[in-house]
Amino acid sequence: MSVLSVTRLEWRRLLVRPLAWVLAALTLAWLGWNFTLLLGSFLASQVQRAALPDGPGFTDLVAVPLLGQLAQLAFLVVPLLTMSVIAGERRNGTLPLLFAAGVPASRIVLGKYLAILGWLLLWLLLTLAMPLALAHATHPDWGKLAAATLGLALMLAALAALGVACSGFASHPAIAAAAALILGLALWSVNLGAQIAGVHDGAINWLAMSTHVQPLLRGLFSSADVLWFVLLTGLALALATRRLAGERERG
Amino acid sequence: MTTIAPATSVPVLQLEHLHRRRAGRPAVQDLSLALPRGQVLGLLGVNGAGKSTTLSMIAGALRPDSGRIKLNGLDFLEQPELARSGIGWLPERAPLWPELTVVEHLDAHGRLRGLHGRALLDARRTIIERLELQPLARRLAGVLSQGQRQRLGLACALLHRPALLVLDEPANALDPVQVAALRQLIREQAAAGCTVILSTHLLAEVTAVCDRVAILHEGALRHDGAVHSDDHAALERTFFEIAMHASPAQAA
Repeated sequence: MSVLSVTRLEWRRLLVRPLAWVLAALTLAWLGWNFTLLLGSFLASQVQRAALPDGPGFTDLVAVPLLGQLAQLAFLVVPLLTMSVIAGERRNGTLPLLFAAGVPASRIVLGKYLAILGWLLLWLLLTLAMPLALAHATHPDWGKLAAATLGLALMLAALAALGVACSGFASHPAIAAAAALILGLALWSVNLGAQIAGVHDGAINWLAMSTHVQPLLRGLFSSADVLWFVLLTGLALALATRRLAGERERG
Repeated sequence: MTTIAPATSVPVLQLEHLHRRRAGRPAVQDLSLALPRGQVLGLLGVNGAGKSTTLSMIAGALRPDSGRIKLNGLDFLEQPELARSGIGWLPERAPLWPELTVVEHLDAHGRLRGLHGRALLDARRTIIERLELQPLARRLAGVLSQGQRQRLGLACALLHRPALLVLDEPANALDPVQVAALRQLIREQAAAGCTVILSTHLLAEVTAVCDRVAILHEGALRHDGAVHSDDHAALERTFFEIAMHASPAQAA
């Protein structure tokens, strides 16, 4: 029950601050604009694609690229959303109030994480609503769309956990945002050198987030990719919990 | 040192040999106390004497390095969830979420302390009426004056009717009328069976509302005795004797 109370409190705080609304408005406007551009080019190339028996369809040319754009925005949006969840409480002096209410560190972290995740999944759902609004007039590849959506949801979940962990360790929300942004980008592109050198396997490629998102965006589901996201999310939340529990010990 | 035996067999709060180091020095040393139901304890001490550290440990916000804290006979460190319903805490400077309204604060605190639905609504209405927070109910905490913040902090601490109320400098920033109302509130709580610990710098505050006084100095309990409202001078003398007695380290 205390997880739910913390989630509710965090969700309320998220909704009354302008940041979440501004981010939602700006990013959805940007994604909406890109959706119309993608749709325009899809319609313009319809005649050429009609000649190809197994050519790319609405899902490949509109829905998945739109989700790809959301993935790019997530690297900036998630750190901005998560930066205050713990670092802000620490600056306010309100963190001891949660400790004093007998809420264990793990539940504080989980409660705050779930609130952020809720916002992000709603954001993903609103973005997804754009291509889905045309589902009756097109023939979406539902399997591919489901895999891409799952990939994005897992990516958002992992980035949110990373952001919460950074907020747990940082003394100031701005430091938390910068750390989450840098760590997110580093995780995405840690294998860039290996890719340029033509190495497509090995530990360095396994470490990179891009290695696990891109197959899902192409519609290729692998439990190993899902496990990678679960591990990253779990590790980040465990680190945040450990930090918070240590803070309660140290004072 | 005078000591008072607990009035009942199971004290509401029992501290046993508490130790806590902060910033590399002992902030609280071998602190033992027992508080019966309905007693008001005044905690006195100069800045850095260990009052806030002691209160944070009692409130459950900080773990002691060693020692035990028992709430109604149950080990509080082994069952930190006891704090959820058993303790109300007003920290120094009443930390609040600036983006939430007064009502939202009360709701959040109530839920964190295990109140839900009808019970939460009733508790909220009662405490708003008792602390006269109606005109501020929809106001954001970020725009409240310091005195209003203290009142809201006090409301959050009292909302769930705790068995133990821990107040750290509650009279800070309150005007004389509000101080009088605070004293009356503390006495009311004690009469209703709530045990109260009041940390303050004001000796007059202790003689006005407390049954008992404990004086901390350099983290150790130096005095524990009954308070007589007509003997302010004696309390002042005791306090200054302890406070002015510098340790060799301080003298250096």
